[in-house]
Amino acid sequence: MKFKFNNQGKDYDIEIAEAGGKTLITVNGKEFSFGEERQAAVAAVPQTIIPKRDMSSKEVRAVLAGVITEIGVKAGDIVKTGQKLLTLSAMKMENEILAECDGMIKEIKVAKDQKVKEGDTLITLA
Amino acid sequence: MFVGRNLQFICDLVLVIWDLFNIMANYTLKKFGELESTSAKAKEMAAQGAKPWTVVTALQQNQGYGRKGNAWYSPEGGLYFSVVLPKSNIEDLQTMTILAAYCVANTVKEQLDVEPMIKLPNDVYLNGKKVCGILTENVVEGEVRSSVIGIGVNTNTDYFPADLEAATSLKKELGRTIDNDQFLEQIISQLQNVFKSISQ
Repeated sequence: MKFKFNNQGKDYDIEIAEAGGKTLITVNGKEFSFGEERQAAVAAVPQTIIPKRDMSSKEVRAVLAGVITEIGVKAGDIVKTGQKLLTLSAMKMENEILAECDGMIKEIKVAKDQKVKEGDTLITLA
Repeated sequence: MFVGRNLQFICDLVLVIWDLFNIMANYTLKKFGELESTSAKAKEMAAQGAKPWTVVTALQQNQGYGRKGNAWYSPEGGLYFSVVLPKSNIEDLQTMTILAAYCVANTVKEQLDVEPMIKLPNDVYLNGKKVCGILTENVVEGEVRSSVIGIGVNTNTDYFPADLEAATSLKKELGRTIDNDQFLEQIISQLQNVFKSISQ
């Protein structure tokens, strides 16, 4: 199928043909083909390595029951792995809780001098 | 030149003997003149890979601290040291902290023939006044990465500021000078025995 097409004063000679399961479109002598090759191109997309990003929150939990004696970060802070987040005191042991991964402080779920139980969520990181 | 060589030989010999002593003692002693805090130094060394039972001691601390960052008066004369503990679970560390007071009290009792009192969880008193403070610090990064137990014993402290009226020293109470090295050695030995029994 051949036809002419005018767009904003410019003429285009367009030819559309089908052969061997492929659709060939020629525009002013320039060929564009669709069909198996296109499918192949689509099939190739998943092979592209796209870095996976864990969008889930990371929770920092109390390793034992105690009292929060120090909070060294605030919501919105960007923290790096190993950075001190807070101190949890119990039975004369002071536990410096560090960030396990890089991230942003999404929410601080405890306050200074608050008692916490083992397993309580202290901070969420995004 | 002859004197120089001999001096070098003596220095090397002293270092070899010191290393042998450390191997026999089953702990590594790091002595300092003055530190901000033996625990801060021990934590720093632990983060850099110091072995368990590395013992950091200083003649004095200028920023010694106890629980909640409270200052621990640490002039020359007292015994101040911190121990990098083997990796353990949190329950064992809690037990260890409590038993550390027993180790200090026992050393005081055995070496000085007096009856100290343990105030739970881990203060040691003599004649109603505090002679020792203990603080364990854990660094937790998901799990316990390192643990340091800091112990301050008022052995030969001659003077306490007015606001520390509840504190005393063994020397003030008993009228005699305490051998800090001997005290340290015995406390570490007891800590190692206690740790062995609770971690089995």
